[in-house]
Amino acid sequence: MVDQTRREFLKLGLAAAASAVTASAIEIPLFGNQNSSMQTQLNSANTQIANLKTRVNTVVGFVSLSITEQSLLEKIVETIIPTDSDPGAKEAGVIYFIDRALASDYGQSANMFMDGPHILPKVPASTTNTLTVNPTLRWANLPGNSSAPITYTGGSIGTPGVGAGITASPRVGSGINYQYPLNFREFWRVGLSALQAYANSAYGGNFETLSSANQLLLLQDLWANKPTSFSSILPSDFAYELTFMTWAGFLMDPIYGGNQNMVGWTYTGFNGVNFGNFYGEGQDQKALMVATTPTRLKPASLAQYQQQASGGA
Amino acid sequence: MPTTITEPAADVVILGVGYMSGVIAAELSIASLNNNKNYKVVAITKGPYWDYVNDFSTTKYDEWGVGLGRKYDSPLPLQSTTIRNTPYQFALPVRRYTMPIQYHALGHGVGGAAQHYGGTMGRQGPWGYQMLSQTNTRYPGTIDTINPHNDLKDWPLQYNQYEPYYVQWENAHGLCGNYNGSANNPGSDSSGYPWMSQNYKLPPHPLTSAAQLFQSSVQSAPFNYHPFPHVNALASQPYVNQYGVPVNPCVYDGYCGGPCDYACETGAKANAAYRTIPAAMKSGNFTLVVNSFIFRLDTDPTSGLVTAARYYDPQGNVHIQPGTVFFNGMWGYNMIRIMLLSGVGAPYVWNSDPTMVSGTVGRGLTNGYSPYKGTNVSGTLPNIGGNAYPAGNAGGGSVDIYDLMDDNFDHTGLGFIGGSQIGVGGYPGGGPGNITFAGGVSSASMGGTFKPSQKDKYLQTKTILGATPFAPDLPTTDNYVDLDPHYTDIYGDPLARLTYDWTPNMYIGATYLANKVKDIFTKMGASNVTVSSTVSPGAVHNDWWGHHLRGGCRIGTDPTWSVWDKWNQCWSPTTKTPFNIFGAGEITNTSGDTVPSGTHVAGPQSYRAAEGIKQYLGLMTPGLVP
Repeated sequence: MVDQTRREFLKLGLAAAASAVTASAIEIPLFGNQNSSMQTQLNSANTQIANLKTRVNTVVGFVSLSITEQSLLEKIVETIIPTDSDPGAKEAGVIYFIDRALASDYGQSANMFMDGPHILPKVPASTTNTLTVNPTLRWANLPGNSSAPITYTGGSIGTPGVGAGITASPRVGSGINYQYPLNFREFWRVGLSALQAYANSAYGGNFETLSSANQLLLLQDLWANKPTSFSSILPSDFAYELTFMTWAGFLMDPIYGGNQNMVGWTYTGFNGVNFGNFYGEGQDQKALMVATTPTRLKPASLAQYQQQASGGA
Repeated sequence: MPTTITEPAADVVILGVGYMSGVIAAELSIASLNNNKNYKVVAITKGPYWDYVNDFSTTKYDEWGVGLGRKYDSPLPLQSTTIRNTPYQFALPVRRYTMPIQYHALGHGVGGAAQHYGGTMGRQGPWGYQMLSQTNTRYPGTIDTINPHNDLKDWPLQYNQYEPYYVQWENAHGLCGNYNGSANNPGSDSSGYPWMSQNYKLPPHPLTSAAQLFQSSVQSAPFNYHPFPHVNALASQPYVNQYGVPVNPCVYDGYCGGPCDYACETGAKANAAYRTIPAAMKSGNFTLVVNSFIFRLDTDPTSGLVTAARYYDPQGNVHIQPGTVFFNGMWGYNMIRIMLLSGVGAPYVWNSDPTMVSGTVGRGLTNGYSPYKGTNVSGTLPNIGGNAYPAGNAGGGSVDIYDLMDDNFDHTGLGFIGGSQIGVGGYPGGGPGNITFAGGVSSASMGGTFKPSQKDKYLQTKTILGATPFAPDLPTTDNYVDLDPHYTDIYGDPLARLTYDWTPNMYIGATYLANKVKDIFTKMGASNVTVSSTVSPGAVHNDWWGHHLRGGCRIGTDPTWSVWDKWNQCWSPTTKTPFNIFGAGEITNTSGDTVPSGTHVAGPQSYRAAEGIKQYLGLMTPGLVP
């Protein structure tokens, strides 16, 4: 298990970490008449450098989350999957998984359709509440169409304005309803800040300072949409995303920064890419597949698989 | 500066390169070799060419990237679709591939959606081709009550006319199954499918213990059902198809089907890229155009015929591809969208009065099978367990019964028609994305509760049985596809808009069927057998948009409601009828029961269309193939 925490890393600081890498390559000059004290200092320095190198090689720095987001999110993911006698979100490095995801395609919403107009789902319909939206140019130019604004009344088949909202609520979003004009990095920024504001207004302090019971209560408040003011987003949408990404950080391949040392897979009994013989166990995968009792296999990761596939150890 | 480039004319121009297009490509390019016609075939797809060795060998186990990040699916920034439940609503765009809670199988590139699907197959029997007339005969006067605003129709051809095409399609793709029972295949029943002329080419995959228990339970009284090993398109043995294309077998290393829809690194999972397109490539008459987005079909204002397909290459240049005959093999609503954008065929125009609707393109949309999650049956087998996902391939290992589908039982007074195939005991391959996330993300899964619910979950000391049967979705005049007025693709053209709500036949049938399944689970010795029903109209819309849409661009007996005729040839009129475009796919299915695979039902149409295209090319003047 990686024996490190984010705090230790922060104490070191990114600059220190960077210079430590450099320092390890520097020859420390030895004098002919060095005394034992100097020798001791040198040995001590070398030990420190070695320790630092180990840490730098195992700790993942932050590429997206701000300092305040780091300390807040760390407590949130540890509330969602706490550590007990078994590893939790903390040991799995869930926060690093999320940090990296926010800096990559996920955070950039790179594979999402982000064009406007952005209209929230389930807008209620009534005889007085309608929605009027302009058509696009090419649609208007098609035969039979016009550029006049279109008014929607909602309603069930045969009864406009009655029985159904102005907008459908397809299950296509964060949780179910992601229609925000925000990419996910911004969504998390807004969500974390709104969560902290709610912690202060409803529970009297920053989330990090609350008792673990209250931390859990607060997250359940989000699921239940209790906060009446939560910036521009629905609290349960953010709760969904927090929970989903925490699970993913616990259970996805370690190559993405979470599930460190495969603690999530070891706990759940998932085999990763070990189909029965990755470590030479001699199990036949086709036989395992139709067996009536389970066989615990030591998990193997994508990095291990790729190393093995490319002829490495 | 982007320029406009006119390509050399082709005899056959194929739009999109998925399952159906692959058949057209192989059949037409080889036809030119066989009869010295020298047809030149060009196929255009918006995505890349996937090579299973180079593209999937080491990445197929990348669940976050493939299963959840959806890197092999059609990119949503390129084009999305919009959805609403009723015609009075503003339709919202699909903005995101939902993480794996719900299904998607939107393809991108050669092979299409079948590059990453479950490989589930299964024919549609004779009843599925005559649902309307059979219902009117046996249960006269009921269909309009069962299906308000009914738009159910019979197919233009009957099952026995499609049977030879089924055989060709199954042989081309190497389907596994067994219908006639033998000592080697104890999973089957001696009665077999009475309506299959020959067995599948490859044997079924090994059955799980749960599947064997299901099989013995349903075979005996009081059920006396007829179990068969599950049919799928994941080769169980090495195989060479009729085009001489060799096929590698499944290696049972998991990460296969289920909500994450993984790619296959051995090519065992059938799709056009590894079954039919290789044959076309070898013919020397075939050109594959990848990474090219078709945005218009040009038509001749005098004759109405399609003259060319226009597409953007990755640099934004416009290419004009002239052709003699065109095959529309685009996925789902994209097939409809390109026709609506180009004025090919008569666009469907909805009206709240079903007698006042008009047009055909977009009409009769229905929903396939798996997204419906309203009524669930569950139970626990205490004495059978196993590794949840040590290996496996999608859908294999299970046993299916067909006794609770079609009109195989008396529906008098039940309030629905059709039924569902019931399958039990498969070994879905996959990782946490499937087993942990598929159950849903909720508030109940935080704090101390998540970990215990997952501890050793992948090492099962018991088997949880589950089924979500439902009766078929029926076409109505209120479920359809048109162009969205407010949202566009990356090039500025309107997206397809889906207007859809569940039809009562689905959820009324679901309750009946679930209770039948409950009896089976109980007979199997399962404990805690329960039926949970949470269905109400408009309540459940789990991503039906991206998965097995059927209808919407149907073949039929009459050009007033169908786009294509009995040859899958266009007869939907605008001012002039574009006779030189053919189309096939799940959305050209006229109707169907809740059979496991609308793709399998579409398959024979591609062979039918290939024959039609050959005949069309021999006509002296453009018109309908007789």
